[in-house]
Amino acid sequence: MARVSKIMLTDVPTLKKEAKIEKAAKLLAQIQVGCVVIVENKDPVGIVTELDLVRFAVSKGKSLKEPLTSIMSSPLTLMTPDMKLDEALKIIDTKKFRKYPVVENGALVGLATKKDVVNAISDNMRFHRNIQNIVLILFVLFELFVFVIGRYIPQYLAFWA
Amino acid sequence: MIKIRSIMTKDVITIQPGSTIKEAAQLISAKSVSGLVVVENSKPIAIVSENDIIKGVTSNKKTVRDVMSREFMIISPSAKFFEINRRLREGKIKRFPVVENDRLIGLITETDIIQATRDFTRFHQIVQEAILAIFGFATAFFLFYFSPIRALVFG
Repeated sequence: MARVSKIMLTDVPTLKKEAKIEKAAKLLAQIQVGCVVIVENKDPVGIVTELDLVRFAVSKGKSLKEPLTSIMSSPLTLMTPDMKLDEALKIIDTKKFRKYPVVENGALVGLATKKDVVNAISDNMRFHRNIQNIVLILFVLFELFVFVIGRYIPQYLAFWA
Repeated sequence: MIKIRSIMTKDVITIQPGSTIKEAAQLISAKSVSGLVVVENSKPIAIVSENDIIKGVTSNKKTVRDVMSREFMIISPSAKFFEINRRLREGKIKRFPVVENDRLIGLITETDIIQATRDFTRFHQIVQEAILAIFGFATAFFLFYFSPIRALVFG
């Protein structure tokens, strides 16, 4: 089974803890990732998704000059690069989030999305299923072959008897 | 085979192209969806996503018409799941309004496709394990049949 490090996104959009909401909005408008991780000296402290910003746009009495920390989601659910994909899937099934920062020795190294994990497992399964089925078919053919040989061929081959 | 009808979101949130971005943002945050279908004369003409709203807010646009995008593909309920999954994985199209008899009956989003793939994977794991179990028993029988134990037991 592959590990999280193989499927994670490595250029994660990050912003410093002191940044304003305006900066996050401008960044998210340009990129396709859909979220920005808030870091404090490479250490992830929170995440701001597009939905958080849309909620902010609706809420009254808040300005774009406010710090990002007021709308970010925290604490984070983290993954590690050497985590296996089915462990990652277990976390995804229980937490119901879509994006998970990947952390190694306290520093942010990537971003794992539900989409990438599910697709990787699905592809992996399809590949293994095909191999397994081929092996099974070969095995059954072998069994049939031995069965036939064991049953009928010896009487034709038993010329020494 | 996964049926489009069974995985689509049935109550699609729609909006008019003349509505304001604020109304769209309110709908998105109230219903917790990732996007709205823009309809005109009950026909889907565009999509407004969270990203479009943010773009609109940062560039001071006013109406949905200014920010909506046309990156969507209308499909019928008989469309193939794997076809849609392939399109989703290769390109920019993330939303697929489902139209039957000129009427919008549902919406397939990235989330629906991922969840269906996840559930389908689980189903396939079970099927595969059942197949393995059956072949395991067959092999056990085969070995028993040709082993001396059979002669010991049945004479």
